[in-house]
Amino acid sequence: MKADTVVDFDVALIERARKGDAKAFERLYREHVGRVHGLCLRMTRNPDTAADCVQDAFIKAWKALPRFEARASFSTWLHRIAVNTVLEKRRGPARAEVSVEDPGEYEEPTMVFDTPVEEEELEAAIESLPQGARDALVLCGLYGYEHQEAASMLGIAVGTCKAQLHRARGLLKDRLERGVR
Amino acid sequence: MTTRRVKGIGELPRDIPPARDLWPAIAEAIQADLAMKAVPDSRRRVGWWPAVGLAASVALVAVGVFIGQNLLQPDEPQALARMQPLAPASDAGTVKASLRQAQYDNQRKQLWAEVQAKLNTMPPAEREKVGKSLAALKQSIQEIQDALGHDPANALLQELLVSTSQEEMRVLTTVRDSGRQEL
Repeated sequence: MKADTVVDFDVALIERARKGDAKAFERLYREHVGRVHGLCLRMTRNPDTAADCVQDAFIKAWKALPRFEARASFSTWLHRIAVNTVLEKRRGPARAEVSVEDPGEYEEPTMVFDTPVEEEELEAAIESLPQGARDALVLCGLYGYEHQEAASMLGIAVGTCKAQLHRARGLLKDRLERGVR
Repeated sequence: MTTRRVKGIGELPRDIPPARDLWPAIAEAIQADLAMKAVPDSRRRVGWWPAVGLAASVALVAVGVFIGQNLLQPDEPQALARMQPLAPASDAGTVKASLRQAQYDNQRKQLWAEVQAKLNTMPPAEREKVGKSLAALKQSIQEIQDALGHDPANALLQELLVSTSQEEMRVLTTVRDSGRQEL
């Protein structure tokens, strides 16, 4: 299915859901739940917490649908709600662990390894990262968000997001080389 | 068991379906939301404000019982005797009513300041108890005022506001004057 077809399909469902059609919202849920859950799971590292976050995020999305602007991406909007829900569930400050003087010095989010690694090993290495670094890596490196968007979702400065990603890449490389979880 | 090998983070699957279907709980919340929206505004208000009244009553009873047991003195506080109901003013009496309201506001503010000073002299346990009760009373007044903001013509809410405000003044005066006889 082409991307624009998916968007058009979403728009029609969103319109119906806005009018109170729960069936339409269920279809949106079925379409997006995998990605939202993947995001929550990688951010929380806990299947039960991730499931709670997914449920809360979709309930919040249902209630906020009247405020959703059709021009925006439903997926991004939903992810923003999910990230916010995860952050709410976390207790204690865990943000802005790294300060940065010159955000421009950091590399692009894409990360390619010289030697292919096992998916499971990579997931475990990501899971072992410190929270702030993991958040940046998951949003920018895995879900493809620009630093600006990811920083806005996480409530941190763009420079901090870049620094966290830089840190994540270094730690990840180190852990994969050493084969440490 | 080995898994697929990947060359970069971008090759990891973005979609990870949850282990169980999360929709039933979401559907339940949506149905509750829809049911709430289906109730007409007026009925929702009727269903909501007794809760405010109940909260106010609970606070009044709590404060009343506590004051009765611990602090109440026989003489009627002057502030209460002087206090007038807060009923809406007629056009002719607007200025008078405004002055009365200002007088009440000043008196209330002063009493709260005096009571605060009094609280600071109380033993911690007693201070906490009285402080909590007064806060509950203040909160009740705020909630009634908020409810009146939604439904200004509601006579019952007006009455509740007057009686709760009078009760607040009575309690404040009692707390302020408590222990004076021993001095």
